[in-house]
Amino acid sequence: MAVQFAEKVYALAKEIAEDCQGLEAPFCAAECPMHTDALSYIRHIREGKLDDAVRTIREKLFLPATLGRICAHPCEKECRRETEFKQPLAIAALKRYAAEKADCVELWDVRVGVDTGKRVAVVGSGPAGAQAAIDLRKAGHQVTVYEKLSVRGGMLRVGIPSYRLPPKVLEFEYEYLDRLGIQFKLGVEVGKQVCLDDLRAEFDAVILAHGAHQGVVAQVEGCYSQGVTNAVDFLREMAFTQGCSAMGKNVLVIGGGDVAMDCARSALRAGADAVRIVCLENECELPASREEHEATIEEGVQFDYGWCVDAIHERDCRPTGARLKNCLALKDESGKFNPQLGDEMRAVECDTIVYAIGQRVLDIANGKLPQGGGGRYRVDPDTLASDIAGVFVAGDAAGTTIAIEAMAHGRKAALSADRFLRGISLIAERNFKLEASYKTRYDVPVPEDTKDLVRQHTRLVEVGVRRRSFAESDLGFDDATALSEAQRCLECECKECMQECLMLNEFTGCPGELFGVFLAKQQVDALVPYSCNLCNQCTLVCPKEFKLADAFMSMRKDFVRANKGRSPMKGHGAIDIHQKLSFSRVFTIKRKGRE
Amino acid sequence: MAIRHGFMPGCSLPSYSPTNIEKTIEFLRGVYPELSVIQKCCGKPTKSLGQVELLKERFGSLVADIKDCQVDEMLVACQNCYNMLRESDAFTTASLWERLPQIGLPAEVRGKALASDVVFSIHDSCPVRDNRAIHDGIRWILQELGYKTVEPERTRENARCCGFGGMIVPVNPELAKKVMDRRVKEMPTQHIVVYCAACRSSMLMGGGKAWHILDLLWGPVVTSASQPPENVLASPVKAWVNRYKSKGVIARSIK
Ligand SMILES: Cc1cc2nc3c(=O)[nH]c(=O)nc-3n(C[C@H](O)[C@H](O)[C@H](O)COP(=O)(O)OP(=O)(O)OC[C@H]3O[C@@H](n4cnc5c(N)ncnc54)[C@H](O)[C@@H]3O)c2cc1C
Ligand code: SF4
Ligand code: SF4
Ligand code: SF4
Repeated sequence: MAVQFAEKVYALAKEIAEDCQGLEAPFCAAECPMHTDALSYIRHIREGKLDDAVRTIREKLFLPATLGRICAHPCEKECRRETEFKQPLAIAALKRYAAEKADCVELWDVRVGVDTGKRVAVVGSGPAGAQAAIDLRKAGHQVTVYEKLSVRGGMLRVGIPSYRLPPKVLEFEYEYLDRLGIQFKLGVEVGKQVCLDDLRAEFDAVILAHGAHQGVVAQVEGCYSQGVTNAVDFLREMAFTQGCSAMGKNVLVIGGGDVAMDCARSALRAGADAVRIVCLENECELPASREEHEATIEEGVQFDYGWCVDAIHERDCRPTGARLKNCLALKDESGKFNPQLGDEMRAVECDTIVYAIGQRVLDIANGKLPQGGGGRYRVDPDTLASDIAGVFVAGDAAGTTIAIEAMAHGRKAALSADRFLRGISLIAERNFKLEASYKTRYDVPVPEDTKDLVRQHTRLVEVGVRRRSFAESDLGFDDATALSEAQRCLECECKECMQECLMLNEFTGCPGELFGVFLAKQQVDALVPYSCNLCNQCTLVCPKEFKLADAFMSMRKDFVRANKGRSPMKGHGAIDIHQKLSFSRVFTIKRKGRE
Repeated sequence: MAIRHGFMPGCSLPSYSPTNIEKTIEFLRGVYPELSVIQKCCGKPTKSLGQVELLKERFGSLVADIKDCQVDEMLVACQNCYNMLRESDAFTTASLWERLPQIGLPAEVRGKALASDVVFSIHDSCPVRDNRAIHDGIRWILQELGYKTVEPERTRENARCCGFGGMIVPVNPELAKKVMDRRVKEMPTQHIVVYCAACRSSMLMGGGKAWHILDLLWGPVVTSASQPPENVLASPVKAWVNRYKSKGVIARSIK
C-alpha cells in the first residue's frame, strides 16, 4: 500500500532523524581515526569480560598491546572527562591492560574473503602498510609486502625505543598478518632492487606506505662533523644494537617533540653521562606530550628552552660544543614557521649532536609523483589515489604523523584499491567523514551529579633504574587500578529510549535510524507505528524529549486515510467490531437523572 | 442552578464487573441524587487506530448523549475516557479517583482491610501519568480501606504502560506480552492494585495477581491467600454478556 504521509509526519521524522543522539559516536570513538569503540571495551573491562574487551578492540585494531603503549591517543584529548575536568580516561593504557590480560591467537579473526585472483603490492611494513595489507587480504586479494629492512613494523620497530615498546610485543602482534596469509619480502628496497614500474607491471595495484625515513640535519657551520647525526638514523641503530657508534658521552639533542624525547632518553640508556635538549619553543609550548616531557625531565635530561643551535664547534672532525642563539618567536609576521632569533648567545659543550627536527619522505617513484612539503606525496586526500592509476599512497608518506592516523590511512588506501580492483567508482556512496577523525554531534549534557574523579596512573619503573635500561619502563595498570580507571568512563552515548522501549528494539537500533530510513524510503511497515503502545515512555527518558508516539500516531492516521478509513492491520478487524458494538444501541444506554 | 452530575463507567469496567457498576452508582446517587449515567465508549480505540473521521462521528454522539442529560460535570472511572472527555468544553470532567477523597467513602468500608496481611503494589495508568490528584486519590482510597501498599520503581509520573496501550495487542501480541511481563516483574509484590480494567487484564496476562480498586472498595477483603477474579476480558463472550448486564444494571438503577 503506497501511503502519502502528512507534512507533520515528515517534520517530526526529520527532527528525530537529524537530532537523535542514538547514532552519535562517543567523543573518544569519533576522534579515534580508526573509530575504536573505547566505550564498549572499557565497559567490558569494568564487567570483567576481558575476552570481550579484546574482541571489541580487535574489531578495529590488530595491535592492541602495541597501541595500548604507544598510541598518541588523540581520543583522550576529546574525552569528556578531559573537556569537563581535565582528567581524561586512560583509554590507551586500558587497551594495553585488556590485551595483556586476555589477548591470544584464539581470539584473532583470521577469516579472509573469497579469492579475487587480484594481486597487490604494499611497500613498507609500518602501521599504514600493515593495515592496508590486512584489509586487502580480508577482501580476498593476494598481498605481498616489500620491506627494505630485515624487521617489520616501520617506525614502531626502528623509531620508537624498546623501553617504550618492547619488540617482542610488536612482533607477536604482527604474526596476525602471517596468519592471514600475507606474503613478505624483507630486505628488498623499492627503488633499488626493484622499481615502482616493475611493481605496477607485476601487480594489479600498489600501495606506497614507506613512511618518512630521511632524517633532517640543519645546514649550519660544523654540521658535517662526525658525531652529528639525525634522529632516524640514531634511533634505528639504537633499535638494533641498543647503542650508536656515533655517540660519545655528552649528548645534545635538538628538537622539542616526542622524537627528541626518545633520542634523549635513549642516549641516557645507551650510557651517555650528560644529555641536554635544546629547543626553539619555550617550556609551555613544547610540542612533546606532557607525559614524555615529564618523564624526560625526571630522568635527568637538561632542557634549554627557547634556544637555537647556530653553529657547531668541532675539533678533529668531532663536535666539542655548540653556539646557541636565543629564539624570540617561532613564526614570522605572516604566521609562517620561521624562527626569529635574537642577539643573545651562549656556548654549550657536547661531543654528540642529534637532530630531531623532522623526517622527510624519500622519493621511490623516480620523480613520477609530485611531492610537497617534507617530500610528502601529493595525492587525493579523500581516496589517497596518486597520479598513477592503481597506485595509492598511505601513512607518513602521504602526511600522517602518528601511528593510528597511519593505520586509518592504510584502511582508506585499501578501500580505494579494492574499489579500483573491482572496477567500482572510488568515490561513489562513500562516507569520507567516517574514514578519519571527526567531531561527534553527541551533546547530551553530563548528569549534574557527575563527580570529578582523578585519573589513575600506570606503574613506572623507579627512575634510577629505568634511566639506564632499555627494558620497558612503564608496567601498565594492575587489576585494581584498571578497574577504578574503567569505572570513571561517563559512557557518552544515548541509549535511553532503547533501554526503555521494548517495541523500538524489535525494529531498530535507535529512532534516528528508524526515521532516517523512513525519510529515505518515504515508507514504513505499518507494523511499526501499530506496535507502539503510545505510552510516551520514550519521551520521558529522551534528552531531546522527542515525541515518538506523536509521530507513530500521525503515521497511523495516514495509513487509515490510504486504506479507506480502516486500519491496515488484520488484527484490528476485531477492534472495528468492538467499536461498532460499543457505540451500538444494544450495548449503550443513557439515563438522565431527575431534574 | 445546582450542578448536574453524570457518571460514565467506560467500556472495560462494565465488561469486567456489572456489580462494581451497580455499587458505584448506588453510592454516587447518595451524594448526587440527580446523577445521570451513560454507558458508551469514548472512542479512544477508534482514535488509536487513526480513524479521524469515524472518531469525530462517534465522539460527537457521546457528547450529544451527555448534553441530552444536561450534565455539567462528568465523573469517569476510566483514564482514557478522562482524557477524551476533557477535550470537550461542553461540560467539565473529573475522575472518580480524585472525587472520592472529596466526598469520602461510606463508613462501612473504612478500615475494612486493616487486618489484612496483603501488601499491594500500585500500578498507575499511564495515560494519566501527569495527574497527581488521581494518583493521590488512589492512595487515599487504599489507605482509607486499610490496605498496605508499596510503590514500584516506575510509578506515578514515571509509570510504565501495562502493555495494552495503542491497541497493539491484536497486532503484535508477542510484543504486548513482553511489555506485560516486564511490568509485572517490576512490581515489588505479587498482589497488584490497578484502576483500569484493561490494566488488570494485562497484569493477569503478565502473571500477576491483580485487583481493580473497585473490587477492593465494594468486594470482600483481600488477603495474601486470595486469588484475583478471573480475567473476564480475555473471553469476548463473557465480556459482552457483562457489558449487556451492566446496561441492565444502569436501567434498573435510574428509572
Ligand atoms: C622516533 C619516533 C617516535 C614515534 N613515536 C610515536 C608514538 O609514540 N606514537 C605514535 O602514534 N606515533 C609515533 N611516531 C610516529 C609513527 O611511528 C608514524 O606515524 C608511523 O609509524 C607511520 O607509519 P607508516 O606505515 O606510514 O610508516 P613507517 O612506520 O615509517 O613505515 C614505513 C616502512 O617502510 C619501509 N620502507 C621505507 N622505504 C622503503 C623502500 N624504498 N622499500 C621498501 N620499504 C621501505 C621502512 O623501512 C618502514 O618499515 C613516532 C615516530 C618516530 C620517528
Ligand atoms: S532517547 Fe532515543 S530518541 Fe531520544 S535522543 Fe536518545 S536515542 Fe534518540
Ligand atoms: S568518558 Fe568514556 S565514553 Fe566518554 S569520551 Fe571518555 S572514554 Fe569515551
Ligand atoms: S510511545 Fe511507543 S515508542 Fe515510545 S516508549 Fe511507548 S511504545 Fe515505545
